Amino acid sequence: MVEQDFILEVDAIHTFIGQFHILEGVTVQVRCNSITVLLGRNGAGKTTTLKSILGLTPPRIGRVLFDGRELQGKRAYDIAAMGIGFVPEHRAIFRNLSVAENLRIAERKKGDLERKAEFIFGLFPDLKRLYKLPGNHLSGGQQQMLAVARALVADNKLLLIDEPSEGLAPILIEQMMEAIRELSATTTVLLVEQNFLMASRLAQYYYIIDDGKSVHQGEMADLIHDEALVHQYLGASVRVEVGASSGRGGGK
Amino acid sequence: MKIKAFWRENNTLLSVALILLALSIFGLFSMGLEPFVRTTLSGFTLSALYFMVAAGLTLVFGLMDVLNFSQGSMLMIGAYAGWQFYTNPTFLFGLAPLVFALMAGLTMMAVLHPLVSKWRIPEQWQSRLRALLLVLAVVIGVLAVAGVDFRGLASTAMVATMVAGNPLAEATLQEPLASFWIRPLLLFLSGALIALAQARPGDSTVVVYKDQSRRSGMIVAGLLALVIVATLVRESGPLAVLTTNGNLRFVLALIVGTLVGAGLGAVIETTLISPLYVRPLYQVIITMGLAFVISELIQLLWDPLPYAMSRPPAFSQPGKAENIWAFFQGGNTTVDILGVTFPSYRLFIIALGVLMFVGLTLVLKYTRLGMIIRAGVQDREMVEALGINVKRVFTLVFALGTGLAALGGIGAAPFVPVEPVMGDRYLMQGFITVVIGGMGSTTGAAVGALLLGLARAFGDYLALKFSLSPAISEASTVIIMAIVLLARPAGLLGRRE
Repeated sequence: MVEQDFILEVDAIHTFIGQFHILEGVTVQVRCNSITVLLGRNGAGKTTTLKSILGLTPPRIGRVLFDGRELQGKRAYDIAAMGIGFVPEHRAIFRNLSVAENLRIAERKKGDLERKAEFIFGLFPDLKRLYKLPGNHLSGGQQQMLAVARALVADNKLLLIDEPSEGLAPILIEQMMEAIRELSATTTVLLVEQNFLMASRLAQYYYIIDDGKSVHQGEMADLIHDEALVHQYLGASVRVEVGASSGRGGGK
Repeated sequence: MKIKAFWRENNTLLSVALILLALSIFGLFSMGLEPFVRTTLSGFTLSALYFMVAAGLTLVFGLMDVLNFSQGSMLMIGAYAGWQFYTNPTFLFGLAPLVFALMAGLTMMAVLHPLVSKWRIPEQWQSRLRALLLVLAVVIGVLAVAGVDFRGLASTAMVATMVAGNPLAEATLQEPLASFWIRPLLLFLSGALIALAQARPGDSTVVVYKDQSRRSGMIVAGLLALVIVATLVRESGPLAVLTTNGNLRFVLALIVGTLVGAGLGAVIETTLISPLYVRPLYQVIITMGLAFVISELIQLLWDPLPYAMSRPPAFSQPGKAENIWAFFQGGNTTVDILGVTFPSYRLFIIALGVLMFVGLTLVLKYTRLGMIIRAGVQDREMVEALGINVKRVFTLVFALGTGLAALGGIGAAPFVPVEPVMGDRYLMQGFITVVIGGMGSTTGAAVGALLLGLARAFGDYLALKFSLSPAISEASTVIIMAIVLLARPAGLLGRRE
């Protein structure tokens, strides 16, 4: 395997939050123009892995290479400016800003939004209609779309997307999956996803994180058939029923 | 439907407006037109001053969760710096090179980081070395400043305020350039030693930011250039300033006061506040301590006396203007407003306050900085994850807050005494204003300031009329605060959490 195949290489990182040792050796490699998903139980350290990559919770041991460059010692805003977009969990848009401002604030160069507008509104036509509304007037699904759209405004080579399906109705999950698949044509995606069905249908590669350690990796196509492994690390609640919409739906 | 929605969105503001309207109709008929207008205008003047302190407080608290107890001191420093610049800038010009030199030295920290973090020093010696460096820095700093003509300069300023006609006579000769140079040099060295100690030599766990070293290097170079310029114009500067037209000099004083406040704010944020974001209580204590230090320093430099700053010529021509337009042509001391003779300078303060509110609102609503501030109030981490340097925004906002307070101070200087207790007085009112309006809301601060100013003015009026204790006007502000907090624990326009 040649080095340049990977846009992101996370090499055995250890992250502490306060005195808690959250990550105890996570290794993840993300191939260019692929969708890779991090799987694992609640509290396994998936979100912390994303935040460690971005430098929001900098790893104390281990190293992270993005686009061939070392991220150790860089601050979060510098790392993000290198071309990483972040879609946090719980639809963390800026609720007191309008939709337009939520997108505008993500600009890194003047005119980013104008250049990307067509692409973004092509993925999420709803946002065009809601453009002037304040963020807190949006429904949950619309907020999630805005959060993803915000990460697309600047030229990002890698998107870190944390639980895009969380609390969405099945029909919206479908739409979100379609959008992520579409945008992965031009950029690389590292996904955290609890909804195994969605993860299995989107991602080409998977990593399983358990208790702060990466324990398994491989191609998604293989994992789908390995029910024992899925059961061991992702819990009994997850059933692989390809085709059925068994998402953890709900929401608005 | 529309009216209902409008009411729901703005019910707080509308209720306050209705209450004020009812009270003012009642006041108008029970007091008569003349006293009512006079009291209202006095109230507006006070409101403007309270807003200038409160705006910075609420902005800084909203974004950074920092309660800045030195905000009143910033107003005081603005007043002293502006007044000093207006009446006799010799002192400021003498101080400028020294301040710039010290700042240049302190900025060396990021430049020194990559150099010293690789030094090999046994762990038990690292902290001793840092202590040693700090002691050395203080000794050198004291040596550099000792004998500087601080006190003498301050006394010339005092005289100058009394000799109204010709302040030039008091601009004294200073020590020769050749012997002066040694002071900025020593102060630069002192600052650099502190920076070296802060860079934690030998501590390999320190994270070194390369691009930051480069940027700091450029700032140091810029500051050193400023030291040279400031040293060269040290003697010609004061004369040039004093011979300019009084109005222009006043505008310059406003700018200088604001810049001193903002600059000091930036220094305070980067050196004292920013290392303590993980310990919010320490931030409160350190800003409180700072307020005491500043108050003592001011008494040391200027003596604990109240000074009166003369009004600029545009507000000091004798006689009364018949209306606002006549005032613009004549520049009279007083203006006739609805039959009330009112000092024209106080109108300027009201205008300054309104201008500040409008300007701040526009900046928050329409600029990128404003957008980042509003976003940061909600979610700092996400703003950073978008590639925005939140730390720098914090410094900027803190400086903006202290700068606004300083502008308020120099604006107020021509009609309130410039004295070492003015900081505490306005800090208290500023805090009450912010609490009433709701922490973090600029509009809330404006509404709170309006209520407070009017309460003080009408309280004073009632106390005088019914020969009550003047304490009721002071108590009224706290009573309003209590009522508001009972009805709305988060303040009038505060976020409900």
